[in-house]
Amino acid sequence: MTSAAHDVVVIGAGANGLVAAARLGQAGLRTLLIEREEGLGGQGRLVELAPGFRAAPLGLDPGWAPAAIARALRLDGLERHGADTALTVVVEPGLLLTLPRDAGKASEAIRTYSPNDAGKWPAFTTLLSKLAGFLEVLYQTPAPDVSASSPGDLLPMLGLLRKFRALGRRDMIEFLRTLPLSVWELLDDWFEHAPLKAAVAAGGVQDHRQGPRSGGTGFVLLHHLVGAPAGSVRGRPPWRAGPAAFTEAAARAAKRLGVTVRTGAEVSRIDVRNDRVAGVVLKNGEEIAAGAVLSTADPATTLLDWVDPVWLDPEFLHAVGNIRHRGCTGVVTYALEALPELPGLASKEALAGLVSLTPSLTSLERAADAAKYGRVSESPHVEFTVPTLLWPDLAPAGKHVLVARAQYAPYWLRDGATWDATRRDALAGSVTAAIEAAAPCFQSRIAHRTTWSPLDLEERYGLREGAPSQGELGLDQILFMRPVPGWGRHATPISGLYLGGAGTHPGPGILGGPGWLAAQRLLQDRGRR
Amino acid sequence: MSARYDAIVVGGGHNGLVAAAYLARAGRKTLVLERRPVLGGAAVTEEVFPGFKFSVFSYVVSLLRPEIIRDLELPRHGLQILPLESTVTPLDNGDYLASWADPDETRRELCRHSPRDADAAVVFGRLMHHMAMAVKPILGMVPPDPASLSPSDLAGLLKLGRHFRSLGPERFHALHKLMTMSSADYLDEWFEFDPLKATKSASGIIGTFLGPRSPGSAYVLLHHYMGEIDGAFRAWGFHKGGTGAISEAIARAARAHGAETRTGAAVERVLVRNGRATGVALASGEEIGASIVVSGLDPRLTFTRLVDPKDLPEALVDGVRRYKFRGSSGKVNLALAGLPDFTCLPGAGPHLRGAVSISPSLEYLERAYDDAKYGEFSRHPYMDIVLPSMIDPEMAPPGKHVMSVFVQYAPYHLNGGWTPTRREAFGDAVVKTLARYAPNIESLILHRQVLTPDDIERITGLSEGNIFQGELALQQLFFLRPVPEWAKYRTPIHGYWQCGAGTHPGGGIMGASGRLAALQILRSAA
Repeated sequence: MTSAAHDVVVIGAGANGLVAAARLGQAGLRTLLIEREEGLGGQGRLVELAPGFRAAPLGLDPGWAPAAIARALRLDGLERHGADTALTVVVEPGLLLTLPRDAGKASEAIRTYSPNDAGKWPAFTTLLSKLAGFLEVLYQTPAPDVSASSPGDLLPMLGLLRKFRALGRRDMIEFLRTLPLSVWELLDDWFEHAPLKAAVAAGGVQDHRQGPRSGGTGFVLLHHLVGAPAGSVRGRPPWRAGPAAFTEAAARAAKRLGVTVRTGAEVSRIDVRNDRVAGVVLKNGEEIAAGAVLSTADPATTLLDWVDPVWLDPEFLHAVGNIRHRGCTGVVTYALEALPELPGLASKEALAGLVSLTPSLTSLERAADAAKYGRVSESPHVEFTVPTLLWPDLAPAGKHVLVARAQYAPYWLRDGATWDATRRDALAGSVTAAIEAAAPCFQSRIAHRTTWSPLDLEERYGLREGAPSQGELGLDQILFMRPVPGWGRHATPISGLYLGGAGTHPGPGILGGPGWLAAQRLLQDRGRR
Repeated sequence: MSARYDAIVVGGGHNGLVAAAYLARAGRKTLVLERRPVLGGAAVTEEVFPGFKFSVFSYVVSLLRPEIIRDLELPRHGLQILPLESTVTPLDNGDYLASWADPDETRRELCRHSPRDADAAVVFGRLMHHMAMAVKPILGMVPPDPASLSPSDLAGLLKLGRHFRSLGPERFHALHKLMTMSSADYLDEWFEFDPLKATKSASGIIGTFLGPRSPGSAYVLLHHYMGEIDGAFRAWGFHKGGTGAISEAIARAARAHGAETRTGAAVERVLVRNGRATGVALASGEEIGASIVVSGLDPRLTFTRLVDPKDLPEALVDGVRRYKFRGSSGKVNLALAGLPDFTCLPGAGPHLRGAVSISPSLEYLERAYDDAKYGEFSRHPYMDIVLPSMIDPEMAPPGKHVMSVFVQYAPYHLNGGWTPTRREAFGDAVVKTLARYAPNIESLILHRQVLTPDDIERITGLSEGNIFQGELALQQLFFLRPVPEWAKYRTPIHGYWQCGAGTHPGGGIMGASGRLAALQILRSAA
């Protein structure tokens, strides 16, 4: 190999790869961004379902983009949609409860079902906002380094502690108490109306193989609320510009900042020489030399599949091999001739938000039970949205797209079974049936249906075990434990190799958060050299 | 009413007795009041059937703090722990998995099933030992309040911080994992032989309403690894004369220091005047004055039964309301005409002097949990079985035996509630499951005592029958046990203290809560 044409190769053009590359380009590094697919955007990219119909199957929650990153990279077009159509839960066919973000209005809606719950709702949403707000602070800085010894490393910890104390005595304790709690217990402490509890609790098990009774789901709920406006209980509001607004903005920034982008370039391995990264080798045999590589693919794939194990210590490899991915979500997208009609729905705008079809914590837990034993739930938890209500150009005029997420559909099936066409169709069948139960005649409006099993998500999106999280959000796999204990700050034992995907701190749904911190780390290390 | 005592301890469970012994030892005139005719709370030995003595509830000992044994000179007062040397898990294929007192023998046995696991077990054992050592100082420390700015709390936090840093990153991370993971996930990282994982994870579910796949169960696993007898970790023992004899030894120590104990004396309420405890009123109407009242009962009884919750801050009452008990285990005590014959190890071998664990696979345990989640007792429960009469022949008439079966899961909140019929159905499920592994069991049973969580609550007073006075879940440990701000044994009522297992560190015949409470009381008075 001759002299390198690039200083850094960034792997993966999802939100994190684009942000990392843009940041490195901004710092003046000759940066090459390589992407396996033909299109940019990773999990957020739009896919053509049928001629004229498009959707982002994994974009049910648009995620949160830290303002500091958007500002630093001058990302444009990141306004949120004004529609206040947050969450609807089907209490029973024909009876729906729609919860706007405005706590007062939501409270009124709840009152029909439970005056007790209505009274508590504003305080509950305020508490969630406050607790998620602390995570928001934690997620904008590198993971706390618990083994820090120099005063320089301890200072940021003290800063965090100060912010933590600023939460106030009771909220601070509540924060610590809520993280290990199960959403089941959390919601039981507050509310009595089963569908209300189930709709909120589903956020605590989103893409998580555990059920709502499992400890740590309290944390998962808060994680997915980071950056959400006050009053939110599930996810963040959509972008005005379209489902892929963030990655499109990041791609524009990367190009503006001089990043070279190559699509259709699939990594075969990462070249390491004398404990130092030397570049990447593509599937087609092409070698790309670079002094640094920043991978936003999941840590297990990067370190186990792409790096020759001779360069890594067996204990480190053991730890990487132990990262739990456990994808358990299937996605079914529908191209529809007409908008589905849900009897009892006050306004069709609600379909642009999240519609949850699971009426109780028990049914959510039962759906999770199947996954424990490697089975696909026969009555999965289904939630869906109709993005064409916000962005009509995703479908031909008058037609619609519906994106449904189904849990639990585990990647690992019992007795070595695999995700074949029969299983995939069975999953799609139960999702269709669940929607049909709430929206009669739904089936007759389907023009086309596409199903993604966790195996499909792995193959199409490069997500190991089909897990969009790149590593389950267990309390043992976050902060300084993410991706593996002691390596929470984006570096790896191989000099010049960095990790910046969702599998690193601060994790999935924080758009560009891990990529940004990884790029900063890389720049910091170069400065020191 | 004049204060006749310096201190009254409500409840003669082992923690109450430990607290009383420490108070008496410091010269305080102390009285212990116990509602039942026997001292010991859930650590009692009773002759349930003529000639057959049972450790009715709590049946093994390992966690009793060595400093308590030393301070109270318990061996001099009759403490005598006999080792429980083996654990045998019968497998569904007719084979078994055993661990024996001799590590080499255990290694050979493991090798038979998985040489890889045999190697891993050595490293695992060493790590768990270090983890238990790492947690040990915390068991003996009053939990500092992380939200407080008081010098003593800050000093406590600093001490804790230094302690964790002294562990080094590797052990700190391992501890973090143990505190947050499920026991099944944690063991999956180490082992491949499923019955081994199941048997090890079984100690992660004892007394909690968690399955082996529920995060948080790895901590309970560690909690049970902290057992220590004469300095030897992971040593489980059986007390000569049953667990009641431990309570007796502690009571004797307390009396030797001048404490009085009264049984059959049910405390109706704690007398409070002007925000200060002044004594107690008994169910008989008798009132006894004291300047300090210590409750060894669980947080629900301590804060909502013995005193009027209206006298307490709302946050505390709310915290107690949210505090989870959820009893999940039952106990079946059998009087046997002879020895059970296990298909996997026929005859009266050494395995009958140890524990027999009915935990053939992780899925078996998880399914047992699933039944309980939806309000039913496990059709095929997890069981931890010991035959105390094999170790201490005085527990049963000659030639006969007593068998203690700890059973999980039996939810306190059973669908339709516990009735005598349901209790017997539960007992039948236990015996039937047992008969799958020891077919002669049914023909040996002379008498059978079945205790559901409902019975445990009724007899011992433990709310919802939770044997730990509240779940050992992360959100209910350390400075959160039982309730934030009130985790230092104190209560908002002056002179009213808590010393039960519902306070840090809680659970098991450990005595640490009682000791720490007494030391706090003595410090505050000094």
